[in-house]
Amino acid sequence: MEAASHTHPAPRPAAGAHDVVVVGGGHAGIEAALAAARVGARVALVSLRLDRVGEMSCNPAIGGVGKGQIVREVDALGGAMGAVADATGIQFRLLNTGKGLAVQSPRCQSDRHLYREAATAAVRSHPGVELVEGAAAGLLVADGAARGVRLEDGRRLTAVAVVVTTGTFLRAVMHTGEAQAAGGRAGEGTSAGLSGDLERLGLVLGRLKTGTPPRLAADSIDWDALEAQHGDPRPVPFSARTDRARFPALPQIACHLTHTNERTHAIIRANIQRAPMYAGRIQGVGPRYCPSVEDKVMRFADKERHLVFLEPEGLRTDVVYVNGVSTSLPAEVQEQLVRTIEGLSRARFLRHGYAVEYDFVAPSQLSDTLAVKRVPGLFLAGQINGTSGYEEAAGQGLLAGANAALWALDQPAFVLRRDEAYVGVMVDDLVVSNPTEPYRMFTSRAEHRLILRCDNAEERLVPRARAAGLVGDDAVERLATRRAEAARVEAALARIRRDGKSLAELLLRPDVTWDGLVELCPELAVMGFDEHVARAVATGLKYQGYVERARSDVERLRAQDALEIPAELDYRTIRGLANEARDKLDRLRPRTLGAAGRIAGVRPPDVALLAVHVERWRRARSAARRGEA
Amino acid sequence: MSADTIAAIASPAGPGARGIVRISGPGARALVRALWVGAPPELVRRGLVLGRVDDGRGTQPVLFLWMPGPRSFTGEDVAELHAPGSPPLLAALFERVTALGARPARAGEFTRRAFEHGRIDLTRAEGVLELVAARNEAEARAASQLLLGGLGSRVDGVRDALDDLRALCEASLDFDEADTGHVAPRELVDRSDRVRARLAEALAFERARGAASGLPRVALAGAPNAGKSTLFNALLRTERAITSPESGTTRDVLEAEVDLDGRRVVLLDLPGLDGDARGLERAAQQGARERLAGADLVLWVVDAAAGPHDLARERRALASGVPVVLAWNQIDRPSAGAAPDPAALDVAEVVPTSGARGQGLARLAHALGAALATAASEEGGPLARELARRHVRGLECSRAELAAAQAVLASGGPLDLAAEHLRRASAGLDELRGATTAEDLLDRIFARFCLGK
Repeated sequence: MEAASHTHPAPRPAAGAHDVVVVGGGHAGIEAALAAARVGARVALVSLRLDRVGEMSCNPAIGGVGKGQIVREVDALGGAMGAVADATGIQFRLLNTGKGLAVQSPRCQSDRHLYREAATAAVRSHPGVELVEGAAAGLLVADGAARGVRLEDGRRLTAVAVVVTTGTFLRAVMHTGEAQAAGGRAGEGTSAGLSGDLERLGLVLGRLKTGTPPRLAADSIDWDALEAQHGDPRPVPFSARTDRARFPALPQIACHLTHTNERTHAIIRANIQRAPMYAGRIQGVGPRYCPSVEDKVMRFADKERHLVFLEPEGLRTDVVYVNGVSTSLPAEVQEQLVRTIEGLSRARFLRHGYAVEYDFVAPSQLSDTLAVKRVPGLFLAGQINGTSGYEEAAGQGLLAGANAALWALDQPAFVLRRDEAYVGVMVDDLVVSNPTEPYRMFTSRAEHRLILRCDNAEERLVPRARAAGLVGDDAVERLATRRAEAARVEAALARIRRDGKSLAELLLRPDVTWDGLVELCPELAVMGFDEHVARAVATGLKYQGYVERARSDVERLRAQDALEIPAELDYRTIRGLANEARDKLDRLRPRTLGAAGRIAGVRPPDVALLAVHVERWRRARSAARRGEA
Repeated sequence: MSADTIAAIASPAGPGARGIVRISGPGARALVRALWVGAPPELVRRGLVLGRVDDGRGTQPVLFLWMPGPRSFTGEDVAELHAPGSPPLLAALFERVTALGARPARAGEFTRRAFEHGRIDLTRAEGVLELVAARNEAEARAASQLLLGGLGSRVDGVRDALDDLRALCEASLDFDEADTGHVAPRELVDRSDRVRARLAEALAFERARGAASGLPRVALAGAPNAGKSTLFNALLRTERAITSPESGTTRDVLEAEVDLDGRRVVLLDLPGLDGDARGLERAAQQGARERLAGADLVLWVVDAAAGPHDLARERRALASGVPVVLAWNQIDRPSAGAAPDPAALDVAEVVPTSGARGQGLARLAHALGAALATAASEEGGPLARELARRHVRGLECSRAELAAAQAVLASGGPLDLAAEHLRRASAGLDELRGATTAEDLLDRIFARFCLGK
């Protein structure tokens, strides 16, 4: 049965004009189209507006804790996000450097305009991808299977598989105070027809909410009064393909820090009834992780101030993103409250903040290939699955696009395990979740995070990607070069000794890092090592004992974890399960005991109880079989 | 799943002051009504009623306890009929109950149902098991402590504190220094100290419980002055036991841990077994016999030079069901007789020794080790010990991981490694609570329950 997840769910229909149609040109859609094309499919990408493909709808930034790891994985799997971010980044920082090597994550500020152009160019120039401008009005369905997309102007795009990546555009409503407008992004429309089609196919939809802060004019900010935050002096690119001699490609800028204060909070409290979430107009549930400023003020009433980052949206724009002040309060209240913040007393609004409420598809209806279980040929990726963030969307898009293409081309599916990639963790989490807020990646979601590091993404994923046709020989050659360089570094660390110990042994001390070794032993600096590889080797050696232990855990737990729960198991017959556990198990129907144990609200005694029942069911079934024979 | 109703005589076998017939399952209610003489009691709330039931041969008075599911011991409707402890009366009552449709319960079935209905978790189920398998009062007391909210709630307490600590640590990892989720390492260290204290408390409790049964127990037994204490001391290579040529010097039971052939065991030096003892001697003898019955192995010491012996009678006086190794002792004396045949006496091995001269000790240690190994492989070892070991091991593992996490934090090491140790500490507790318990372990545990518990 374990093999079942690695094959596709149903037989394929006859070929259409394309192999794969991707609906949506966001970060999921781009990676989906590119991955499908890399695998060898003929792809059409449909977007409402081709001049908005690769738009950064919210924060002009890529990466961050947990998310940066996904970007590195997307890159190792041949995706575009890392390379585009490298080419268009205007500030690069490695976050969490004080917390440990496995949780360090790269992040960059991007030039929003250049990012979109580079992303569009990556899709446009890729062989096998056709860009189609138009609004998807509905799915083409034959015999219960997805067969393409119907556009509003009557055009029909037939295909063998459809990947829907419509982000926040399904029945989208934007809120600014009491004002409402249909649309998934300022100045754009919504797609209502697809939601109806998905419901008619029997899918369960839910509502979620996300928000975005105001954008201010750069010349209206008193920069001199504010603390500057610069990027790293020697920035690290996301992509293994980026030419480091020409990195960073763009001039680098500083962001600035400021804070909300008591006056800001007083204005918010006085107007809280006018915030759509509090006034009850928004049914969707918003995120805890990047909450609106009104949420922060109301929930953390004891905090005197909240951090605000002023992030320029590009080199040749005067638009400044006010990170930390996501809000859906009325426009005039937004202006009042922002102008209480130090440095923003003269702030001119280029756009007000707003909240978006949209449909998502309960992701428990997906398989681990991101295929919709009940609709052959239909794949979903990105915010439509209840996630948040460009990086999460890109990871899913890549996986869904690859699997749509592999399905269309009759090749084995591509599934990543929890111990192989953050993308695997995310998909495994999603298929047993029922999000009440958008799913965001955190390193703490990955129990194997000591293995899933930024520095070993190629090592982990290039061989898998090559086998699936997602990367070419060039990636394999880069990996070989990297391994040769790593061997050279390892040899040096084993050979050179200080204080009667090899450098490799010294690395095992808690406080010794690669930088410490270079200081202790200047000859390392002149050996011309590739610094990234050298650091990765040092990390590998330092964490080796832990990694070995983690790997043996993976092996030990795999059998128990993979124990299949019969699909027909009636959880209501298992008396003694905690009510919350029973409800969740019944609704989410985890495929394995491991997945059941990872559901929030399912406690160890529930899992033990479930194990007894699964075993009992298994024995009863084999006894019945013996009886028949 | 538990569609049928089960019943068993739940009181100890043999005559006693009171006997219990316990019934559990969906049919319990109807069964009680059918048994009852006169207006049946109102079966709504949990409670105790005095009444009379018809056992098919006549009516008898019972104290009736009703525990409606799901808040009963098994999670099902449970009825207990407390009747005078006469075996024929109880048998008649039980027969009547089964005639009315209840199925005789299999070993451990009540507890298995309780577990399956989530009424008890694994640690408490083990407590029940230990209680019924307890071989002496001390063990039974320890087991009932475990059952009455013992280890389960203790582990829950540790688990809560550990979860709090992990949540802080993870939040600190997932948010950059500038962000609000960041937590100072100092606070993490302080909190981990608190978790450690709770873990130490749980361990102390578990150790105390398992202390009497943590290691295999080898009891030295034999007639007074057979040379047991000399042999005990020789095996210990210390002068712990007071030895003297006067008969009956060892009044109390002496215990010591010792390595026998690479196997750690508790060696017990018992007073000589003497059928004619009086007074205090007799009390000491009683204690000795209880210890003997609780031992995993008996080292039977016979003075080879003190013949003639009635070895068959002496052998019968030793506990039955416990393997025995015979030390044919004091062979250095001129009057020592020839060693007897092991098969004739139903002993594992006969080893000629001299405690005083240190002769034959290596062979004796080897023989004891081999007999213990055989006993362990046949029986899986005494259960209480197995469970105590599992708990101590699980808690120890958690404590070691917590200590490792503290060491990482204290040395300024990376927080992600500290977090990994904390994750393992919590996984260790999960395992203890049954999260990753394989079905074979469950089978072994449930198969060993006595009927009616």
